[in-house]
Parts: sequence; C-alpha cells; structure tokens
Amino acid sequence: MSTKQSTYRHVVDSFKTALGLGESTLETSLAERVVFYVALGLTLLITLFPFYYMALASLLPESSLYSLPPTLIPQDLTLEHYRTVFGPETFPFLTYFKNSFVIATTTAGASVLVATFGAYSFARLDYRGRGVISRGVLMVYMFSGILLVVPMFQVIVWLGFVDSLASLFVTYLVQTLPVSLYMLGNYFRSIPEEIEEAAIMDGYSRLEVIFKITLPLSAPAIVAVFFFTFMIAWNEYLFASIFLQSQSVFTLPIGIEALSSSFRQVWGQIMAASLLTSVPLIVMFTYLEKFMVEGLTFGAVEG
Amino acid sequence: MVSLTRSGDRTIEEKEALLGYALIAPALVLIAAVILYPVLYNVYLSFTVVPLRPDEAPQWIGLEHYYNLFGSSAFWSALRTTIVFTFFSTTLATLGGLGTALLFNRSFRGRRYIRGMVLLPYVAPLISVAFVWRFMLDPLYGIFPYLGSDVLGLYAGSIDILSNGDTAIWSVILIDAWRYFPFAFLMLIARVQAIPGDMYEAAKIDGASKLAQFKDITLPELKYILATVFLLRWIWNFNKFADIWLLTRRVETLPIYAYQVAFANYQHGQAAAISMVLFLALIVFVLAYVAWALDW
Amino acid sequence: MATESTPTADDTAADAVADAADLSSDEDSEIRLRGVTKRFDDLVAVDDLDLTIRNGELLVLLGPSGCGKSTTLRMIAGLEVPSEGSIEIGGEEVTETLPQKRDLSMVFQSYALYPHKTVRGNLAFPLGKMDVDDEEADERIRRTAELLEIDDLLDNKPGQLSGGQRQRVALGRTIVREPKAFLMDEPLSNLDAKLRVQTRSEVRSLQQRLGTTTVYVTHDQEEAMSLADRIAVMNDGELQQVGTPKEVYENPVNEFVAGFLGEPSMNFLDPDRLTRSDADDSVARTGSDGSVVGTASDDPFAETATVGVRPEDVGIAEEEVTTAEEAGQRADGGQAYEIDGEVLVVEPLGNAYEIEVDCGDDRVTARLRDRPGAVSPGSTVTLRLPADAVHRFGANGEVIG
Repeated sequence: MSTKQSTYRHVVDSFKTALGLGESTLETSLAERVVFYVALGLTLLITLFPFYYMALASLLPESSLYSLPPTLIPQDLTLEHYRTVFGPETFPFLTYFKNSFVIATTTAGASVLVATFGAYSFARLDYRGRGVISRGVLMVYMFSGILLVVPMFQVIVWLGFVDSLASLFVTYLVQTLPVSLYMLGNYFRSIPEEIEEAAIMDGYSRLEVIFKITLPLSAPAIVAVFFFTFMIAWNEYLFASIFLQSQSVFTLPIGIEALSSSFRQVWGQIMAASLLTSVPLIVMFTYLEKFMVEGLTFGAVEG
Repeated sequence: MVSLTRSGDRTIEEKEALLGYALIAPALVLIAAVILYPVLYNVYLSFTVVPLRPDEAPQWIGLEHYYNLFGSSAFWSALRTTIVFTFFSTTLATLGGLGTALLFNRSFRGRRYIRGMVLLPYVAPLISVAFVWRFMLDPLYGIFPYLGSDVLGLYAGSIDILSNGDTAIWSVILIDAWRYFPFAFLMLIARVQAIPGDMYEAAKIDGASKLAQFKDITLPELKYILATVFLLRWIWNFNKFADIWLLTRRVETLPIYAYQVAFANYQHGQAAAISMVLFLALIVFVLAYVAWALDW
Repeated sequence: MATESTPTADDTAADAVADAADLSSDEDSEIRLRGVTKRFDDLVAVDDLDLTIRNGELLVLLGPSGCGKSTTLRMIAGLEVPSEGSIEIGGEEVTETLPQKRDLSMVFQSYALYPHKTVRGNLAFPLGKMDVDDEEADERIRRTAELLEIDDLLDNKPGQLSGGQRQRVALGRTIVREPKAFLMDEPLSNLDAKLRVQTRSEVRSLQQRLGTTTVYVTHDQEEAMSLADRIAVMNDGELQQVGTPKEVYENPVNEFVAGFLGEPSMNFLDPDRLTRSDADDSVARTGSDGSVVGTASDDPFAETATVGVRPEDVGIAEEEVTTAEEAGQRADGGQAYEIDGEVLVVEPLGNAYEIEVDCGDDRVTARLRDRPGAVSPGSTVTLRLPADAVHRFGANGEVIG
C-alpha cells in the first residue's frame, strides 16, 4: 500500500472514529482526535453562527449594516437599535414582552397541572377505556394548527374572546396537552410502583401519594413540561396572528413582524428585538437544562 | 363470620377507577372542547360556503369545494410542494440529529455545556430565527448571497433566494432542517448512549471495521427510535405553517395555501376543505409509513 | 385443597411460644383467610385458600415463584382484592377495606424507600397519618432507630446507604407504626448470602421481642425453616400444607412438600428397585417403638408409586444382618431397604460427606457424618434406607400412612 493510500485510509478511519462509532476514548490517535474536533467545530459553527450574527447585527451601526461586504468582525458597536426598540413609539417592546410572558407562564403552569393529573391517571390507575383514551389523545396531536385555525376563529368570535389573551391561553394550553401527557406519563411509569404502594400501606390516599411522593420524584419531567409549554406559547405565531388585532395585546412574534412591515431598513431593530425575545428562553433553558434533559429524554428511551 | 364468594370489582378497584376518570377529565374536556369540536366544525364548514357577514349562516354546498380542489392545479402543486418540503426537511433533520448524536457519543471536555448549545436552534423563538435567516439571505445586504456571488463567484447579480421559486423551497428545507435537527439529536442521544460499550469491544475483538460496527450494532439498536423520530417530524413538518410563512411567500405548501384562501380570499369553507384534505393526506402517509416500518 | 396438619404436641408448644412472646400486641391480630381466590383474567393465582395466622406468630408463606404467595400477601395487605372469599383481621372483616385503613405495614423486596427523604423522613412518614403528637413521633423514631442500629444514619438519604442499611430502614419503617401485623415480601432476597443469614436471626429475634403477628413470604426453604413458627407451603396457587417447621419437614403430606423442604432435597425412588435388608422374609417387622407392624409377607409398597428418603437418612450397608436378634438390636428396629448403585461423586463438605450414587434410573444423594470407608467414585455400593425414614407416596403424590 502506498503512503498516499495508507494516509487516505488513516483519515477515513479517523473520520469514522471521530463520529464515535464505537471507539473507546483511550485508543485515539492524533489524527482521529483532530478529525473529531473539526467535525465538532463544524457542527457548532453551523448551529451557532446565526445567533452570533443576530447579536452582531443588533449592535452594528446602520452604516455597517447596509453596506457590502457584510461585516463579520465589528469595528464600531452601537446601542441605538436597542434604544429605539425600547422606545414605546416605534415598538412597545415592553408591552409585547409582558404579554408574551404572561401568556407563556400561565399556560405552562396550567398545562403542568392538568397534564400531571391526566398523566398519572394514564400511568397508574386502571379503568375501562384507558388504553383507547391515551392513544386517542396522542392521535389528536396530528391535527395541525391550520386545521383548527378556521373553526377556532369562529368559536373565539362567538365566545367574544377575540383580541384578548384569553383566546391564546385556551388554545396553547390544549395544543400542548398531548405531548405533556405523554412525557409525564412515561416518567411516572418509571417510578417503581412499590414506592407508591409503600406510601399507601403507610396510610396515604392516592391523591396524597401523588403530591407527597410521585411529584417530588418527578421534578425533572415537570420542569421539562413547563419549559416545553412555555417555549411553545412564547414562540407561537399562527393563532396569535389571527386572534389578536390590537397592538396592546400583541405578543412578541406578532409585534416583531409588525415592526418589520411598517418601515424599511429596520434590520438593526429587528435583530435587537429578536435577540431580546430569545434571551428569556435561552436563560431559562440554560438554567433548567440540568433538570430537564432527564425528563425530556425519558420519552426517547421509552420509544 | 360469613364466608363471602362474590366475584368481580370491589370497592378499592372501583375507587381507583373513579379517581382515574376524575383525573383525566379536565384534560379530556379541554381537548374535546378546543380540538375535537373545532375539528368536527371544520368538517362541517368544508361542506359549506361561509359568507363574509358573521351573522349570516353558512350555505351547504356538499362536496363542491372538494371537487374544485381536485380540479385546481394550485391544489396539486401545493400538495407536491408539501410532500417535497416534508420529505427533505425531515430526512435532513433526522440525519443531522443522528450524526450529531454519534459525535456526542464519545466524551470530551465540556460536553455537557456544548450539548446545550447545540439545542439552541430548536429552543430559540421562531420569530427571531426566521428574521435572522431572512437578513442573512437578504439579496442586498445578506451575507450568504454575498458569499455566493462575490466571493465564490457562483452567479452574477443579486438573487433573492427566498423569493425565487426554485431556490426558495431549498432554502426553507435547509433552514427547517437546521432548526429541528436538535430535536432528533435529543431523541437519539439517549438511545445511542445506552448502547453498551461491551458490544463494540466484542465486535472489535472479532475484527469488525468501524463501518461494520455502525451497520450491525448501532443501526439496529437505533432502528425504532429513528423510525419514531422520522415519523414525528414528518407529522409536524407536514402541518407546518409559521416556519415557512415567516421566511417566504413563495413556497406554497397546503397549510400556506389554506391560510391564504381563508384570510386573503375570505373563503373559510374552501379553506376548511383544504385543511381536511391535508389531514387525510397525512393520515394516509402515516398509515403507509407505519405499515412499512413494521415490516422493517 | 388446603390441608392443615392435625394438632400435635409441637403445635401446642408453638402456641405457648407465641403466647409468651406476645408482649406488645394486646389486640387481637389473628388473620383469617377463608376461601380466598384470586383470578387475573384466565390465570388463577390463588385457589380457594383457607389459612389462619395466629396472634403473635411468624407464619412463612413458602413456595416457588408463581405459587401465589406474594399475591396472597398483597391480598392481606389490601393491594389486591380477592375475586372470591373473605379476609378477617382481628375478628374484623377487611376484604373490602382500603389498604390504608387496615393498620398493617409491609416490607417490600426492593425496600421501596422514599428516595427523596432522609432516613428520619422515611421513618416519620408513616407516623404522619397517625394520631401521634410530635413528641411521641420523635420518641418512636428514636426507639426504632436504636433497635435497628441505624440511629447514626438518620440524616442520610437512601441513596447513600448500603444494601444492608437500606434493609434495616425498610424494617424500621415497618415497625415504627406498631401495626396489627407485619407483612414481609422476601425482605432478605437482595442481600448477599452471609448478610442474609445474619439478618435472618435478627429479624427473628426482633419479631419475637415485639410479639407482632407476621406474615413472611419467601422461596428459600432454609430461611423458612429457621424463621417460622409455622410454615404454609404453597404451589400453583394452592395451599399444600401448614405446620411447624418440624412437622412439614418430618411429615410432609405430599411429594411437593417433601421435595421442597430440605437441602439437599429428598431422594425419590421407584419402590420396585428396593430390596429388603433382612434375609429372612418371615421375620416380623418391628416399628421404631417396638410394636409389631406387620409380617414380612405384606408388600409395604402395595400402593406406593414413589418412595422418598432424605439424604441424611441414607446410610451405607456394611454388614449383612444374619439373625433376627441382631436385627432387633439395631436402633431402627433393623428394618431397612437397600438399593445398589455406582458411586459417582464423593464430596467432602467439612462437617459431612455427600455422596451421589447412580442406581440405574434413579440418582440417590446420601449425606453421611463419617468418611465412607470403601467408597470412591466408580465403586459399587449398597445403600441402606431405614424403614421408618422412608416416605411412601401414592400415584396422586400424596403420602400414604
């Protein structure tokens, strides 16, 4: 085998090793490690570059933003976009933020509550029709937003909820229920039944067992459900765009879109607003990730 | 003392059953009211023409909307676009997630933190992500068109990637894959890490190459979860609206088509019919997929 | 069908022990199961069980996996409801009572400790539902912790404890409530062998000290023999025999019980392979108490399908019995049966020797005190089975005579 061929071989093998295809970490050659880190770096670059650019663009002065070649490494930075964003005339950011926050928090809280009870019912209690109901609930998840938006609009109008946050609360709460039920149900099932039976023998009713034993032990899954619901409510666009009409109730997605369509050349502000919208989620996620991943991936392991 | 020989349910079992019903009741009521009822209402609407004035009742026209749809080229084009978009974005997201999961399977310094970073595209708000990509793809000031024309010399002049019929759909597919591969990653990584290292060691002792190890150990262990991830992403992407709408108006999938018919043309009945067809098409795909996957 | 042994002298003795140990249970905590049956769809897990667990006694439910012992325990606990039959505790009908209200406590095989609570928290939890004030609760926890020697672990969480320590906490949680009865589902199975034996005697003395009625489930017959006041042997959902360890060991009512108890287990042989050890067929046979039990011309194995003999009763035939007098002088009345075979293995066990003999269709294990003289693998040997050590089983598996 010529040197060229063996080098090629070596690189290909390194690539495969780098992808962690069963190689133990002890037996890595330098080439393998280089390839691995290159692959990792590439993945991170692809994943994170847009966020870097978002942050960057929010801080670049207009002169840099609207000129070619596009700036990657900034010379000057400015906070003017942020100042504009916080100015209530152009962009009542704080109002939008408050609306989004209120909706996301209340929906997430309510979802955890309703889903916890329902999931426990699926996981531990025995009654006729349980299997059908639990599978049916999952099937409901297949109904798309677009399927619901037209009739829901009629319903919301009829209820008089148009142009209010209440319309979103109800919609988001129910949209996230199937997945919340699934995640929590899986996690509950993983708690050994004997622990709950021990509590029953100790004299506690089912409801007391749920609150004193099951829930404390399910913290990761509950945090995951809370975050997941929060994220969905925070991000949602379709229903908010249809149900909300006046600016005072706009949530952030609608608000930012309104901003973009009212002026030209507002990329700086939009990037600033986008970043600010992302920050709460990213902060929440970073803080909660430790607790959550166990709760999230439990769904994965269970299939 | 009396010797009792009753059979069947007893108090404690009945009690638990009642509690079971009670605990699931709120969820069921909500789902019935907010999802099931609107869906049924949607079915009804799809057979009617909905007048512009809210106090007028819808007019029954039977299957006319559906006939119109099957005769309209816009519909078939939308269907085709939907399938193309769904297939490629789902495949790419799943593969991306798989590759990343394999990458993360070996431990390295800072793995915990970096794993969180990889989830960012999925966690960040859609609106932020959509706008930054729009900016990056902006024909005048965007970084990617600049790279394409001035740096790499792929083409001359300015092309609006997101407004060009041919390129728009591929941009949307790639952006969607970028946004959702972390979901696949998350679902897969737990399973990948659960594969016992002994299996690989045994295979190595037997002289198996890395590719063989992947094919014969990793892949079979992941079959089920891969199929599940693909199915879930298929379902969600088939129905996607905002992810496309916020990027471009030129990629007309069925959901976009329905939205336009409903809120641009104010034909709610027609839109209802479109969304019904969307739903039925999805069911067909899911059933076919499940049947095929079960044989696998 | 359930068969309770007829009361013997041993039973009364056991009662006396139980009564004497009955210190703290001043309440009637006798548990009565009548006609209890449990069906899961088509499977009958427990079939028409009649059993009484007496006040203050430690009754072991013994049997192989799937015999219904755990199901029975859970029905007593209230975690399962019988399909038919009734359960009484202390004279009160509890068949339909919720487990929370039965005033029992249970140790699970996996201990089922509350992982998010400290040891103290685990011990305190059962008291939360009882009508005790804080002071008394603390006192009880302290006493229990001392009794089980876990008082220095009170602030640890279960995850930080060893298996043996966790087991003690599980026991502590059970006794802190001072319930009517303890239910224990294979509580020692997860311990390693040495610890198991050690803990076993501690459980026994604990139960005797407290005098609480206890129902104990295990599949380990040695454990049952050492712990129980009485053993209830179950198989396939049916109660086989109830009696003191001595009773079920020495007088098993059927092949199953005979074979399940005893390690190494009883040898089962085809009676046709046995020969009489005394040469003269007309010698009168003497029972162990000296009475004449019949003439030699009776076929002792007329209806016997299988003969059983325990390894420790099997001996090696050394001399020929030549006269009836000599035969009468032997401790067992000289009546014995013999079977020939080829020695397969001679195992020295420290305090005994175990030899395995191939007797044609049957394998016989013998356990001997002394080193067998002329015996080595490959040699032929004649085994001697004393007549009164032999159990006869009919075609249906039940004991004859």
